[in-house]
Amino acid sequence: MNPFKLVIKELFYRKINSLVILLTVIVAATVSVAVFTLSKASENETRKIMREQGLNLYIFPKGTNLIDFFSVNNTPAFSEDYVDVLADSKTFDAVRHLTGILQLKYPDWIDPNGSRHQIVVSGYKDEAVQRFLNKQETMGFDVEPGTVHVGALLSVNIPEGEPFRILGKDGEEHTFEIAKRLIEGKGILDQGVAFHLADLQQLLGMEGQINRIEALGCVCHDGRIKNARMQVQSIFPDLEVTEVGSIAEARENQRLMMNKYGSFLIPFVVLASLLISGLLFYANVNSRRYEMGIFKATGKSNSFIVSIIILKAFLIGLVGSITGFFAGSGISEYFGQKIFRFTATDIEPLWNIFGFAVLIFPVLWMLSSWIPALLATQVDAAGILSGE
Amino acid sequence: MLLAIEYDVMLQFEGITKRYKKAGIIYPALEEVSIRIDKGEFVTVTGPSGSGKSTLLNIAGGLINPDFGNVYFHEQNIYLFNNSEFDDYRKRHVGYVFQQFHLIPYLTVFENIRMVCSGLTVAQQIDSYLEKCSLQPLRNKYPSELSVGEKQRTAFIRAIINHPDLLLADEPTGNLDPLNSRILMSLTKEFNQSGGTVILVSHDQDSKQFASRHITLDSGRLISDQKIT
Ligand SMILES: Nc1ncnc2c1ncn2[C@@H]1O[C@H](COP(=O)(O)OP(=O)(O)OP(=O)(O)O)[C@@H](O)[C@H]1O
Ligand SMILES: [Mg+2]
Repeated sequence: MNPFKLVIKELFYRKINSLVILLTVIVAATVSVAVFTLSKASENETRKIMREQGLNLYIFPKGTNLIDFFSVNNTPAFSEDYVDVLADSKTFDAVRHLTGILQLKYPDWIDPNGSRHQIVVSGYKDEAVQRFLNKQETMGFDVEPGTVHVGALLSVNIPEGEPFRILGKDGEEHTFEIAKRLIEGKGILDQGVAFHLADLQQLLGMEGQINRIEALGCVCHDGRIKNARMQVQSIFPDLEVTEVGSIAEARENQRLMMNKYGSFLIPFVVLASLLISGLLFYANVNSRRYEMGIFKATGKSNSFIVSIIILKAFLIGLVGSITGFFAGSGISEYFGQKIFRFTATDIEPLWNIFGFAVLIFPVLWMLSSWIPALLATQVDAAGILSGE
Repeated sequence: MLLAIEYDVMLQFEGITKRYKKAGIIYPALEEVSIRIDKGEFVTVTGPSGSGKSTLLNIAGGLINPDFGNVYFHEQNIYLFNNSEFDDYRKRHVGYVFQQFHLIPYLTVFENIRMVCSGLTVAQQIDSYLEKCSLQPLRNKYPSELSVGEKQRTAFIRAIINHPDLLLADEPTGNLDPLNSRILMSLTKEFNQSGGTVILVSHDQDSKQFASRHITLDSGRLISDQKIT
């Protein structure tokens, strides 16, 4: 007889035992998936907020006047290669999301109606891929070459459908497709235009130049700024680092806390569930002792006995992990929408952990049934079968 | 010519001793028991409760290791078998029937029998046995839906479906009414007449009439061994 069929029939025969074991898997999988999905959502939220709010570290040439710097008063430029050197350094890990920026005042932009304005122009270099980060972990700033994002205050002066026109240093008029009209509340960008770095450099005749690097400093310890500064200056003694407080920082802290809870909660719940399930398997095997006796008396091997119990664990683990995955994702979606303002609609099942969940939980539950399965092979068949 | 008859020795117990230890106290179950059982014999084992009847049967079936002595099956010492040889011995050469039928509750009558079969046994074979034991209409019923007699007949078919050489039955009629006992005993006799060897533990005097040999144990010792001609 097919052991699979045997296992299925037993599973349905001892419904309560099977259901409670299933419940332990579902609880463990649900909690794990929910915590994981929420912490991922929190991370995305942080990233999104960073993008909205700007990064929290500025790196610029030593001696730059900070008043000028914050009012975008054409501070000294330096080579954009600095970014790549920093990104490529093995020792430089206190800072991430390095983005080279050229940000300047443009005193006399003429809008489509012919009036002149002083605006801020910013060029964003593609985020440097740091040696110790995966490509996917970059935040990027998504101004495509040939396009611009115009700030809310400028946007009202440009009719829908028109390109953005601006005079270059060469005296020619340059046009850019408007890829995005930004909404209000972007600080200095409200009165400005964002370019791809290379476009702006060419426009202003400042090839290869930037005047700041924005980055996200690691918010893990006090003295972080000191650490970041030390690391930067050990590579480029002519650079200075300063920090901007922001919501981003609060979010980053929240994310770290979440990870900390997650790294405690997941193993705790999983281990507790495994233990309970191990006891339930033990109870199951115990109530099937005469069955094991019959298996032995009719010449079934020990590996057969072990395998029908482990197979049961596997099947329950599989069903439980799939159920838990959807339950955990559902819970995350439901609560996530309330917690995360920016990414609420982006919270969705993480399919890449689906595969992981349906692999790891069946394996764990097979392990939890392992000792009971071994005990099952040790039953005293003679005593059980001949006794009353 | 008579002297030249060769007996085909099926099972040989040689100086079997088994003692159980519980909480430091030793309970002797079998003491120095030697018995030779030939192919085709129908042996009943009787004796008072606790005399070692079940222990003897389970040693023959390879479910209990004796403390001393050897058991030979066709001249092979079964306690020298490796695990898979032992499994094979229990699967193909020995069939068991117990007083408590020990059917698997979540399998149907048919499946309880099918469970012990190797892939080669065809469903038709099981069905023909079911037919013979008047179980065909109950083929797809579960043990909880059966009478005790039906349960024991199911257990009986499970024991003989693989055509074992040796049928070990430990008080199989102990829970049965006289009619069902008789049905089971005649099935057992039929198995014996078709060449199978039977060792039957029984208190039941009726069962004895089917046997070709009576063995009596007392306090773990063989006290009588009688062949009926
Ligand atoms: N698993 C065991 N642990 C301890 N002692 C045991 C065990 N099995 C049997 N015994 C003891 O061994 C002796 C022989 O037992 P056995 O079951 O072989 O007797 P029996 O003749 O089958 O008895 P009954 O007619 O009551 O079934 C008894 O004294 C019994 O108490
Ligand atoms: Mg007994």
